[in-house]
Amino acid sequence: MSNLALVLTFSLVLLSLALSYKEKLGLEKDMLIASMRAVVQLTIIGFILKFVFALDNLFFTTLILLIMVYNASTVAAKRGKGIEKVSLISFIAILSGLTVTLGGLISFQAIPYEPSQVIPISGMVVGNSMVATSLLFKSLLNNFQNKKDEIEVKLCLGAPPKEASRDLIRDSIKTAMLPTFDSMKTLGIVQLPGMMTGLILAGVAPESAIKYQIMVAFMLSGAVSVSSFVASYWAYRGFFNKLAQLKEL
Amino acid sequence: MNIMECKNIQLIKNDQTILHDISFSIEAGDSICILGPSGSGKSSLFRLLNMLITPNQGEIIYRNKHLQEYAPTELRRKVSYVLQKPYLFGSKVEENLLYPYQLLNQKPNLHEIDNYLTQVNLSTAILQKKNTALSGGEQQRIALIRSLLIKPEIILLDEVTAALDEENTLLLEKLILNEQQNHNIALLFITHNNSQAKRLAKKILYLKAGRMDFFVNATDYFFNTGGNDE
Repeated sequence: MSNLALVLTFSLVLLSLALSYKEKLGLEKDMLIASMRAVVQLTIIGFILKFVFALDNLFFTTLILLIMVYNASTVAAKRGKGIEKVSLISFIAILSGLTVTLGGLISFQAIPYEPSQVIPISGMVVGNSMVATSLLFKSLLNNFQNKKDEIEVKLCLGAPPKEASRDLIRDSIKTAMLPTFDSMKTLGIVQLPGMMTGLILAGVAPESAIKYQIMVAFMLSGAVSVSSFVASYWAYRGFFNKLAQLKEL
Repeated sequence: MNIMECKNIQLIKNDQTILHDISFSIEAGDSICILGPSGSGKSSLFRLLNMLITPNQGEIIYRNKHLQEYAPTELRRKVSYVLQKPYLFGSKVEENLLYPYQLLNQKPNLHEIDNYLTQVNLSTAILQKKNTALSGGEQQRIALIRSLLIKPEIILLDEVTAALDEENTLLLEKLILNEQQNHNIALLFITHNNSQAKRLAKKILYLKAGRMDFFVNATDYFFNTGGNDE
């Protein structure tokens, strides 16, 4: 794709701006800022990635991954305001999802630990884990607010907090994992996912592109599951005090 | 013999004193009716005894040990609290009546369940019913049996018959009295029903604006007031 062609695609943003202006949506400023940010951020990351790929340094690559996890965990933690140690839980949950899946992919020799492979793959893993962790926090907060009676009835019977919260935890994990599994179910039928589309656009044969996409689908299910489990079984503890009493939310 | 003792309990919530200086004791097989107007702190007192909350001052002693010395799960199995709203969890009745065995790590005793159900005019067919298919009276009977299956020494009943008709109320009372007779459990109950207080109570604890107005024998209370005070 030529640079001119890329510039011409900006006309589609102009179309959005015109529609927003005509319909008085008031989104023009947001649209302009968003498209400018996309250009600036992607340009910067393009140069950073070029530098990191050329450097091919184990420590530096790992540092980039940790920064990605940190940023994602900050976003997810915002959804869990009110949960004790939410920032730490969010960071460890997303990091666990990444470590398990990346560890698996490398040990199965699906990919090597090289920045050009590990960074884009980790981006997908971390992004999906972030969404799952955000949904999980939101669902846990809702459940502990709305199903307080169920928890108290079980506590009254002498159930430990983990047992009293088990159904709520399961419900929250399901909420967190469903989008990933729903999108897995529709792969190839409703959508041609990002990685596969990218590879095909870059000239890779579709039969090779699907191999990568299948790997991505499997690794995302693993990452989302691990992150949801770690986050939920750690976060629920924060809703109780040392005497197994429910804290006020 | 005293099995539980409250000494100078004070409870503060949101800068408001809910209970002031409450002291009384509970004996094995006791039957204490907690009376008092709405908002006088009756349910809060039960929540304290079941360790769902902790007093700001004073102490609660159960079998010569402070409540905090017990694992909360152990204490709550000995001092069981049945709420006014009979919350049944899961989808089927069966899940509720098997839950106590799961908590106690015991094999479910269907004979025991059947025995309790029979006492309150229910059959084992109800186990397969959905919770939502039960009437309020049936739900409350199941909730009470669920608590009794834990085998508590003290049971706290918070207006459990408030929404029930007379027939269901008497069925629940029969079950409670049988349980007291067979297992000598202590009963503490909150009610606004004077006839029920007369039928079940040996002692009356009257709360007024979070303070203990009096703690007397039920016969004295009903003799002096004619039972019309509450």
